[in-house]
Amino acid sequence: MIEPPLPPGVIARHSAPQSTRSARTEPSEPGITLDRVHFSYPGGQKILVDTSWELLQGESAVVTGGVGSGKSTLLYLCAGLLAPVQGKVLLSGFPITPLLPSERFRHGLRVGFVFQEGGLLANLSARANVSLALHYHADVLGMTEAQIEDRTTEVLELCRIDRKDWSELPAHMSFGNRKRVALARAMAIEPTFFFFDDPDVGLDQRTALVIHELLCKLRDDPKVTLVVGTNRGILMERLGVPGFRLAGGQLTTRTEVHSLVPPSPVSGSWHPG
Amino acid sequence: MSSDAEPRRTSTLEEIGATTLHLMRVAGGLGVTWISAFRAARAPGAGARAVCRGIALRQIFYTSFQALGLISVVAMFIGATLIVQTELLAGAFERETAGRVLVAIVLRELAPLVTAILVAGRSGTAIATELGVMRVNSEVLALASLGIDPPRFLVWPRIVATIVSLPILTVYFSAMAVVGGSIAAFAMDPHGAPDWLAGISAGLTPVDLPLFLTKAVGMGGIVGWLCSYYGLDVGTSPTEVPIKASRAVVQTLLACIIFNAVATVLFYWVSGARLA
Repeated sequence: MIEPPLPPGVIARHSAPQSTRSARTEPSEPGITLDRVHFSYPGGQKILVDTSWELLQGESAVVTGGVGSGKSTLLYLCAGLLAPVQGKVLLSGFPITPLLPSERFRHGLRVGFVFQEGGLLANLSARANVSLALHYHADVLGMTEAQIEDRTTEVLELCRIDRKDWSELPAHMSFGNRKRVALARAMAIEPTFFFFDDPDVGLDQRTALVIHELLCKLRDDPKVTLVVGTNRGILMERLGVPGFRLAGGQLTTRTEVHSLVPPSPVSGSWHPG
Repeated sequence: MSSDAEPRRTSTLEEIGATTLHLMRVAGGLGVTWISAFRAARAPGAGARAVCRGIALRQIFYTSFQALGLISVVAMFIGATLIVQTELLAGAFERETAGRVLVAIVLRELAPLVTAILVAGRSGTAIATELGVMRVNSEVLALASLGIDPPRFLVWPRIVATIVSLPILTVYFSAMAVVGGSIAAFAMDPHGAPDWLAGISAGLTPVDLPLFLTKAVGMGGIVGWLCSYYGLDVGTSPTEVPIKASRAVVQTLLACIIFNAVATVLFYWVSGARLA
């Protein structure tokens, strides 16, 4: 059943259905908060109009929406990569916009973001991309060079990237590998907020399943607040977390993620699109 | 027939207003680029400092050492051309004056300016294009998402690199210009070269050093600053990258030419120095 858009100023609290998740404590701390946020691109469409939304710390959610509805922009706003025109965005209760990215990191607001195209630094190898943030924040994380190397190896292996690709530049990698390296890079800093924009678009089934599996692990981590922007039915079914539809500048909330899943010719099978 | 289809004509006043707004936006953007780079560079973080130092050193290598060949050729031919022209104009009796002219024209004016032009054309385009492509590919957003300050990681090392590289390359340019001039002078008359070199020695004054450094450092900062700004001013479309890169170089060249002239006039006016 589709619920009406939230009235301005009202914050929707949503708990994840525990049946689809591993045992974990009920979240209660504020995670991501949008407080009467308004955002539009200069001369462009309105993406968010006086929208309020809250996801508790440790919760997960899927954001769906039509092409150009602003799913990616919503994720950017939540991650503090874009500043709202009006309103406030808070992570763990901290207003994030006035802070430098490094200041956020020092405050313990660790954000992992995987972009649609990966967003890997073109002049760095896969391994260097993954270890970059660890080197940059080595003093904050208290990591030695050896620990950075170990952590880099660990996440590259976790994301099942072949060793022969570790020294490759992004331009010499397949799209699937780029996406997995981007995921490894985001996971390396052990983020408390994780945003994934269209995780499996353009991927073959095998790579997509690896990413689905890793997303399920992140979903089950009580320290991680996960937001995934996708329209993929199979991923939504696998995650089994609350879904929100972005349309007309408003986020509508739904109690059942299954109601967002588009019909598939073969139930449960892989369907590209 | 309806007149609605006709394009609306803008008045002169509207054009002036639009141009003023554009200039204010560019000025504001340049200010923000500089301030954010400076603010981010002062932020704490030993790890960040080490990473950014590495980037700055690599950028210095690309900007200065990889440009030595190009600088050598340009400087030697400029020095040689100037000597040939003064020999043609003044003849063999004015070789010492020719040396002084080389100091005045090449060492004081052309060396910093031509070096800045070469660096803007070579490294400035690279900086603007690289940063523009990074914007289009979401690399800049990716850095911010990882807690890495883009101004510190992208802008500050490039400004530092061009500020360090320009004086090095300007000194090198001057030396190569003297070498090129000496070769030309020796080729025209092997016995005339000492007079010419004596003119260079006599032409150099202590005032030249601060002027030389002011120009080189100032223009180095201009190259890194403007090219970084225009690179990061790219939106989401790849077609903007060449447009902004071209604009970066043109604006940088104009700014360097104006800065060079203003520095010369102000320096000799303020210091009260006289050309030797």
